[in-house]
Amino acid sequence: MFRKILIANRGEIAVRIIRACRDLNISPIAIFSEADAAALHVRMANEAFCVGPPPSAESYLGISKIIDIAKRANAEAIHPGYGFLAENSEFARAVAEAGLVFIGPTAQAMEIMGSKTNARRAAIEAGAPVVPGTTEALKDFAEARTTAAQLGYPVMLKAAAGGGGKGMRQVAAESELRSAFEAAQSEAASAFGNSEVYLEKVVEKPRHVEIQIFADEHGNFVHLGERECSIQRRHQKVIEECPSPINDADLRQRMGEAAIKIAKAVNYVGAGTVEFLFSDETREFYFLEMNTRLQVEHPVTELVTGFDLVREQINVAAGRELSFKQNDVRWQGHAIECRVYAEDSENNFLPSPGKISFLRVPAGPGIRDDSGVTEGDEVSIYYDPMISKLAAWGRTRTEAIDRMRRALDEYAVGGIKTTLPFFREIVRDEEFIAGHLDTGFIPRFNERSRERASDAPSSSLHQDLAIIAAAIAYSENQRKASGNHLPQRPSKWKISGRAKTLSRIPSGRAPQFNE
Amino acid sequence: MKLHARVGDYQGDVDIRIEGSRVFAALDGRTYELDLQRSVDNGLLLVSAGRVFDCRVEGQIESGLPVDVSVGTRCYAVTIADPRRLRSAIAAGALAGGVARIMAPMPGKVVRVMVEAGAEVEAGDGILVVEAMKMQNEMKSPRAGKVVSVSVEVGATVNGGDVLAVIE
Repeated sequence: MFRKILIANRGEIAVRIIRACRDLNISPIAIFSEADAAALHVRMANEAFCVGPPPSAESYLGISKIIDIAKRANAEAIHPGYGFLAENSEFARAVAEAGLVFIGPTAQAMEIMGSKTNARRAAIEAGAPVVPGTTEALKDFAEARTTAAQLGYPVMLKAAAGGGGKGMRQVAAESELRSAFEAAQSEAASAFGNSEVYLEKVVEKPRHVEIQIFADEHGNFVHLGERECSIQRRHQKVIEECPSPINDADLRQRMGEAAIKIAKAVNYVGAGTVEFLFSDETREFYFLEMNTRLQVEHPVTELVTGFDLVREQINVAAGRELSFKQNDVRWQGHAIECRVYAEDSENNFLPSPGKISFLRVPAGPGIRDDSGVTEGDEVSIYYDPMISKLAAWGRTRTEAIDRMRRALDEYAVGGIKTTLPFFREIVRDEEFIAGHLDTGFIPRFNERSRERASDAPSSSLHQDLAIIAAAIAYSENQRKASGNHLPQRPSKWKISGRAKTLSRIPSGRAPQFNE
Repeated sequence: MKLHARVGDYQGDVDIRIEGSRVFAALDGRTYELDLQRSVDNGLLLVSAGRVFDCRVEGQIESGLPVDVSVGTRCYAVTIADPRRLRSAIAAGALAGGVARIMAPMPGKVVRVMVEAGAEVEAGDGILVVEAMKMQNEMKSPRAGKVVSVSVEVGATVNGGDVLAVIE
C-alpha cells in the first residue's frame, strides 16, 4: 500500500480523499492556491504545498508544477478528485511517466470516453443501446439537415468534445436547425477548442440514470447499481438518489450489465460512471456518456451499498483486487444528496461569495455532510461555489426524504446565500415526493413554486420578528456607539493642557481645581 | 425607540423598548413581548409566549441600508431607517420616492451595459451584466421608469454593494 498520496484538488473532495487516506494510514499531501492557504483541506493534511496564484489555470491545473511537488514530497500516487485534472489524459500520462501512480483509469480509456462520438462508437461496438443518431461529427449543415430529417424532430445537437451542457441545442423543427447548428458549433469551439457537433434523437421526458462501476487490474468488473440524477439545473445535477425511485431490480441488472460491457470495451480500471437516459414510457435506456472519475454524487451509492469508493479506488490503484465481488453487492434502503451551493436561489441563483460568518451543520440519524468549509472560511470567486453535499439515508425513500427535510431545516449558513431554501421547497414538493422525475423537473417545479408563492399569504408573524430583530440590533448598535462618546475618564488632552497652564503659573500661587 | 422598517413591499413603523432581557415591540398596532438571549455572531434568540424564534442579523446594521435577517429557515432583507438621522431621512425619502438602485450583488466585472441614461425601461428589463465566478448575471430593473444614471462602463471591476445604475 502507498505511504503518501498527493491530492490534486481542493474543497470538499480533497477533504473526502484525506479521510480515506487517514482510514488507510496513508499520509495525505495537499496542494493549495494562494486563495486557499488556510482552507480546510490544507488544515487537515499532513503536508501542504502552494501550487500558484488563485486562478485555477495557474494553480490546480498546473500539470508540471503538481508533479514536481509530488516528487519533492515523495508521494507515490496522485488522486485527482473530480473536475480540474480528473479527466485530463495528458495529466494521467505525465503522472505515469514521472513514475507515480495515477488513481484513476488509463489515459487511453479517458481519451476514448472524452470524445462523445468515440464513446458512442465504443458503446455500439460493445452492444449497448445508444440514443439513435450519428457516430461521426457532422461535416456541414446539409448533412445535419438530412440526418435530422431521417431521425425525426425534435433532435439534439451536441458538441463532440462536450460536457456541462455547452454546445448543446435542442431543435424542434427544421426551420430552427440552421441557427442552432451554427450556435452549437461556435459555442463548442469557444468552450472546447473543437467545433465538431453531432446529432441525436431527443428522448422525450428522459430520466438521467447512471451506473457506478468498478474494475481492477485483475479483470474483475462489478457494478454498484444506479443513481438517479434527473433533477438538473442548467444541465448540472443538484439532487441525486440511490436507488432511482423506479427501483426495478431487473432494469438495474440490465443497465449494470450494459455498463460493464462498455467499461470492458475500453479496459477500464478503477471507479467509473456510465450515464444513461431512461424513458418511463418505453422503459428503454440509452447510453449517454461515461465519466472516467469519481463522481460528485458518489456518497449516495456509499450509503446504500456500504462500500467506501475512495478507499476502493486507492486499493485498486495499489494493484490489489477489488475487496468485493458482484454477489457481495447489496442495496439497502435509500439515499438522497443535495448539493449546497453558495448561490442565491431566491435571486436567480446569483453566485454569493463571501465569508461564512456562521455555520451550523446538521447531524443525527441517517445524515452525512461532506463539506470543504468551516465557519469563518471565505467562499472565493475563483472556484466552483459548491460548499457541501448533504446526504440522507433511510430504510425507504419516504424515510430518507423525512430526514433530508429535517436536516435541511437544521442547516444554517450565515454571511453568504445558499441554495438551502431551494432544497427545502423541493423536498416538500408533491411531484418530488411521488418520485415523478425527469430532466424537465426544475422548470415545472419553478412553475409550481411561483403558484404556491402567489397563493400563500406571506407570514407576517415571521416578518414581524425579522423587523424586531433588526430593530433590536440597530438599537443596541446605537447604544454602543453613543456609549463610546461619553468620556469615562478626563481626557488626556485636557490633563496635559491643564498641566501646561499650571506650569506657567509661578509656584506657590497655583489655583485649586476641584476634579 | 421609534424606527421605520421596510421589507419588500411592506413599510411600517416599529416602536421598540429593551429592558435587560425583555423586549417590548409595537408594529402597526401589533404588540409583542419577548425574551431576548444574545449569542455570539449576531444571534438573537427571541421567545414569545414560549414560541422560539432563532434569529440572526447578518453584518453591521446601519440606518437606511438593507440587512439580511434570518428567522429560523426564513430570510428577510430588512431596511431600518432611523428618523433622527439625516442620512436615514434621505434614505427614507429615497424609499418613498421609489428610486431603484441597481447594486452589484458581489465583486465581479461588468461585461455588458444594455441601457443608457435617459432610457425608459420596464420592470424586468436587463440593465447590465456582471460576471463573477465564471457566470454572467443579468441585473434587471426592479421597476418601470427612467434610467437616471449608469455609473460603470464595460470592463469595470465592481465590489459588492456598488451602485451601478439608478432607475427613477
